[in-house]
This record gives sequence, structure tokens and C-alpha cells, in this order.
Amino acid sequence: MPISGISAMSASIAPIAPIIRPAMPTTDATAAVGGAGQSFATMLTKGLDNVQQMQTKADGMAVQAATGSLQDVHDYTIAATQAQLATELTVAVRNKAVEAFSEIMRMQI
Amino acid sequence: MTTPLFGSFGIAASGVTTYRKWLDAVSDNIANINDATSTSSQAFKAKYVVAQAVNYGSGDGGVQVGGIVEGSGAGRIVYEPTNPLADKDGNVRYPDIDLGSQMAQLMMAQRGYQANLAVVDRAKDAYQAAIQVGRG
Repeated sequence: MPISGISAMSASIAPIAPIIRPAMPTTDATAAVGGAGQSFATMLTKGLDNVQQMQTKADGMAVQAATGSLQDVHDYTIAATQAQLATELTVAVRNKAVEAFSEIMRMQI
Repeated sequence: MTTPLFGSFGIAASGVTTYRKWLDAVSDNIANINDATSTSSQAFKAKYVVAQAVNYGSGDGGVQVGGIVEGSGAGRIVYEPTNPLADKDGNVRYPDIDLGSQMAQLMMAQRGYQANLAVVDRAKDAYQAAIQVGRG
């Protein structure tokens, strides 16, 4: 016996459209920087470059603090905090990606 | 307008730097508050930091030191005949700086410095909470 409520509801639900991969203007991973359709690897590389830049800045200030040429104490501590946060963010992104990959690999076929 | 990642750090850092410069100016004023000069020359001029906003709408936001304004060099004439710098009437010139006002400014600069560092701490906690979303 069909339940009228459910069948009425299911009639109104549009079929789920298949996921279409967005067309990538550039498939070359190194060429797509800052574009909408860039690959995950490019984004991660960009993020790592950003982290590297912040770490280099913090390291340079640590050297300045050691040699006595540091102008402001907070410049170093804030740069170090920023570098730490950027690293944590990159690690979080990587963990999420690995988690998603593992989830797909665990899928029963 | 694009703000950089962790933008509030840069803004708060600019605040800390500005208050650090204010602290420097106040400490300079207090250090020189008892400088006696001869009446023929100018007294030590008090330094005042002019804070200026960096336009948040078009740039990174934050605050900067727009310039240093100097007080009057006229100072106050004090009768001090034993001072080696005294003129023939026995007068010397002292800077006209009010220690009470400088101490009040010192407290404001110190608290402003600490407030901006508190912003850095809270921003760090907030960003960390955002990074922790969905973990565990």
C-alpha cells in the first residue's frame, strides 16, 4: 500500500543532478594560480609557500632579537604567532584532505 | 578591498607600535623634565605623538604615527642664581612640562599597548577555534 504522503513528497523532489566537474580553463597545475578552478595541489602549494614566507619572516626577527637589532618586541612575537597559526591551518587542511581520501578508499563497492 | 590572512594581527600590531612610540615620547619628556638651559637658548620641547588612522576601506587598516608635534620652547623662567647656566639676573629656563599630565599619558600609553596585545591574544584564540572546527 503506497503511503500517499510520501509519494506526494517524492514527486515534488527533483532528481539529483549528477555532479559535473567544473570545466577547468587550465589543466596545468602550475599555471592556475589564484583562479577559480585550481587544483588542490596548487592550493596546498600556495598555502605552504605562504607558511614558508611567514616562518622566514619570524625566523629573521628571531635572529634580529638575538643580535639586538630588533626594534619592537611584539613584531617578533606576533610574527611567530602568525606563522604558528598559518602552519596549524595548513596542517588542518591537509588532515581534512587525507580524511576525505581515506573515507573514499573505505567505500564498499 | 582584500585583507590579508589573519588581518587583525597586522592591525593590532600597528596599534602596539603606535603606543610603543607614544611610550617613547612620554619617557623622553619625563627624562628631560628637569633640563635647565640658559635663558638665551630654548628649553627642551615636549614631544607629542600624533596618531593617524590607516584607512580600513582602502588598505590594511590600523593606526600609524602621523608625526611628532613639539611643544613650546619658551618653557618657564626660574630664579636659580647658583645654577652655572644662570644669566646675570640669576634666571634659568626649564621646560614647561607637567609631570602629572605626562604620568597620565604614560598610563594611557601603557594600557593602550596592553589592550592591543590583548587583541592579538584573543584573535589568536579565535583563529585557533576556527582551525579546530570539525576536529575530533
